[in-house]
Amino acid sequence: MQTQLRQALNHLFTLSCGASVVLLVAALLLFLIPMLKKGAVAVLFRGTVEFRKMQAEQFDRGNEEALQKEIEQTAQSRQEIYAILDQFSRGIDTEKLTDEVKGLYRDYGDELRYKDTPKEQYTKLRSQAKIIRNHLLDAFESIDKTEINEYLDAVKVFEKGNSFSGTTVEKMFAVADGFQKTIQHVDLSRRGEYAEELSVVKEELYNLFGPRPEEKTPQLAMRRFGATRWDVAQKHLSFLLWQEKWVRSDDGQSMVSRKVRRDDPQYGSFSGTSLLPLFTLVEETLDISLKPRFTFYWQYFIDDSTPGHYFGGVGPEVLGTLMLTMLAMCFAVGPGVLSAAYLVEYAGDNLIVKIIRICINTLAGVPSIVYGLFGMAFFVTYVTRHPGILSAAMTLALLVLPVIIRASEEAIRAVPQTYREAAMGLGAGKFRSFITVTLPAAGPGILTGIILSLGRAAGETAPILFAGAAALAPIPDFGGKWWLQETRALSYGCYDITVGDKLAMMVPHKQFGMVMTLVMLVLCLNIVAIFVRSRMSKKLRGA
Amino acid sequence: MELTPIRKRAALQPGKIRLNSPPSAAAEETPCTQKTIIGARDFTFYYGSKAGVENITMDIEVGSVTAIIGPSGCGKSTFLRSINRMNDLIPQTRTEGLLSVGGQDVYDKSTNLVNLRQQVGMVFQRPNPFAKSIYDNITYGPKLQGIRSKAKLNALVEKCLKDAALWDEVKDDLHKSALALSGGQQQRLCIARTLATKPRVVLMDEPCSALDPLATARIEDLIEELKGTYTIVIVTHNMQQAARVSKRTAFFCLGKLIEYGQTDKLFTNPQEKSTEDYITGRFG
Ligand SMILES: Nc1ncnc2c1ncn2[C@@H]1O[C@H](COP(=O)(O)OP(=O)(O)O)[C@@H](O)[C@H]1O
Ligand SMILES: [Mg+2]
Repeated sequence: MQTQLRQALNHLFTLSCGASVVLLVAALLLFLIPMLKKGAVAVLFRGTVEFRKMQAEQFDRGNEEALQKEIEQTAQSRQEIYAILDQFSRGIDTEKLTDEVKGLYRDYGDELRYKDTPKEQYTKLRSQAKIIRNHLLDAFESIDKTEINEYLDAVKVFEKGNSFSGTTVEKMFAVADGFQKTIQHVDLSRRGEYAEELSVVKEELYNLFGPRPEEKTPQLAMRRFGATRWDVAQKHLSFLLWQEKWVRSDDGQSMVSRKVRRDDPQYGSFSGTSLLPLFTLVEETLDISLKPRFTFYWQYFIDDSTPGHYFGGVGPEVLGTLMLTMLAMCFAVGPGVLSAAYLVEYAGDNLIVKIIRICINTLAGVPSIVYGLFGMAFFVTYVTRHPGILSAAMTLALLVLPVIIRASEEAIRAVPQTYREAAMGLGAGKFRSFITVTLPAAGPGILTGIILSLGRAAGETAPILFAGAAALAPIPDFGGKWWLQETRALSYGCYDITVGDKLAMMVPHKQFGMVMTLVMLVLCLNIVAIFVRSRMSKKLRGA
Repeated sequence: MELTPIRKRAALQPGKIRLNSPPSAAAEETPCTQKTIIGARDFTFYYGSKAGVENITMDIEVGSVTAIIGPSGCGKSTFLRSINRMNDLIPQTRTEGLLSVGGQDVYDKSTNLVNLRQQVGMVFQRPNPFAKSIYDNITYGPKLQGIRSKAKLNALVEKCLKDAALWDEVKDDLHKSALALSGGQQQRLCIARTLATKPRVVLMDEPCSALDPLATARIEDLIEELKGTYTIVIVTHNMQQAARVSKRTAFFCLGKLIEYGQTDKLFTNPQEKSTEDYITGRFG
């Protein structure tokens, strides 16, 4: 009975140990896999021709000729889409038409003056043109189709007169023609509504294809390109095709919100208009217009981002994090190991030493934001007098110091006394025996502390929040006082994208990419440290 | 045993000691002469308020092997470690009386610890080579003495390894880790390492207790070879070992020196009751 119970307890113990390990691994995977998957999108994705355009323009990458060819190929299918759009908007966007006609009228005046037309002929032609203009403007303003047709017919009378052939006024006739054609299928009373919807369509087309070839290049780099990624393109396509609408529910009672296609004949905003074919055309030719191609954008890890976080990579963030972490380690490891050595080798067991130990243990548990505030209040105010890499690294060093002291203390204490005795027996003083014997033997343990703090220093945001991190800091100028410059950092970048940077929120892959980069960076640093540690302990074991 | 306690330090000055001079028969009868290298007078060592050893008065002869035997916890190690002040690592200790090596008061404030420890080397119970190569283990002491010349160090390594009867086994892989050696080899390496600082005295605290009989025999042979050149003080639990290697034996019990004399005499004809009990195995 007794032995059975004991055996059962043994099994239970084994089982619970195994179960907790499995649980831990599962939890880790549950957290890591989705994050890495989302982050991987930053590097591995289907890049469109717009992406390649952006790479060529912003980073001088890719094959110029091939790209030009691609652009030409895509331009054709895009042109068809633009043609439909222009044709429709000519009838809807009367403000634009008004401007156009007014402009043409002015141009015609210039033309007449330029040709040195005789005075009376000038007055006659000019007044006729004015009548045409006014008719057109009246037509644009009217919502009554018959009235519009009357105005347009009046314009046509002048066209037949032939006195305007070969002049700018012919363009006015063309406008009138186009307008007449468009309004045939348009419910003019809904013109305002159309205009509003059309602006959405235009914006989404812009998001897909960028500025039109004849448009002038926008100032903002992010406005210069369409959808650079196929997934983003898909998103914009669905914005283009679908709209949120309040429609009567099937029982005819309440109004319900429903997603409807813009070209839905029943509910769609453009039902019955000449714009309808555009939607299916865009949908069907999207891959021809954008030419998505599988892209491995490894330069993500080294590229600067332009502008803001919109395009490019996280190079400056990686650099900043590396610099901050390494510098913090430089500051923390020396004092940490020395204090640990003091606590183990020199300090007795008196009250002061006990208090110091309690303080160190407490410091290890202080929230990191407290370090951040201290870093600002002390390092920035009194030491460097400027938030920058140095003050941030010092704050991080302070944060990891307790961890390093504790790990080193344990490691140094674990070195067998016989090692010290051997060294001392040979005449080594305390310092010599510590440096030559104790420290190497404690090396692996100290490295464990360093590994733990590496991850912490690289990942903490709060300590560097006020001490020297900035979302869009320039890359440090290594010719000057780079340690006084603010820097970007992966941890701070993740935070900033999540809470602050509206622009960057539009590129979620960037955010997850940053998280992934941070995790991978810490992983790499740890792998290096673990490798060094295993080499060290192997040597200590005599292999 | 008639040991005359000498209170004045001046009387302890042995003058110039020739390390290699074999002790003469006459010297054996009067141990407190020029031939003495370690002398203790009423030496007491306290751990806190508790005495580790009490009122030890004994002289150890130059170039001889002296064994210290006694039950566990009787202060053998304490006394041995006092001789080169290894006990300094333990906090809150103090001494009374006098302990001198080569005429120099060990616990005097002016004592140079580095010199003392290089003159009085120590071999520990468990082999404790550094986690370095065999070569680096042996050159550790000489380098501390400031010897930098590669040729000198190489010669020294060879000599010490030969003296410690280890040369033939390791000469081909001097740069291998010392931890790759067997326990017996490690202990001989530790002896070689100690010899490299050219000590006058080698203290051995149960050097064979962690070794198998074969390795033990080799160490004993080694001690045999080293005596004369070095003064050896060996603590041992093994009575046969004491009888085999030592010329004189001291029996400690409960922190006191009970009996000290010629080994053969002590084992065959002990003067004290407790000594007899111990060596006949009637003692706990
Ligand atoms: N570091 C120490 N602190 C306090 N007491 C000690 C210490 N080392 C030894 N002692 C005490 O001193 C006495 C002698 O110990 P030791 O010299 O190690 O005995 P032995 O080597 O003969 O077995 C023992 O009673 C032991 O309890
Ligand atoms: Mg002992």
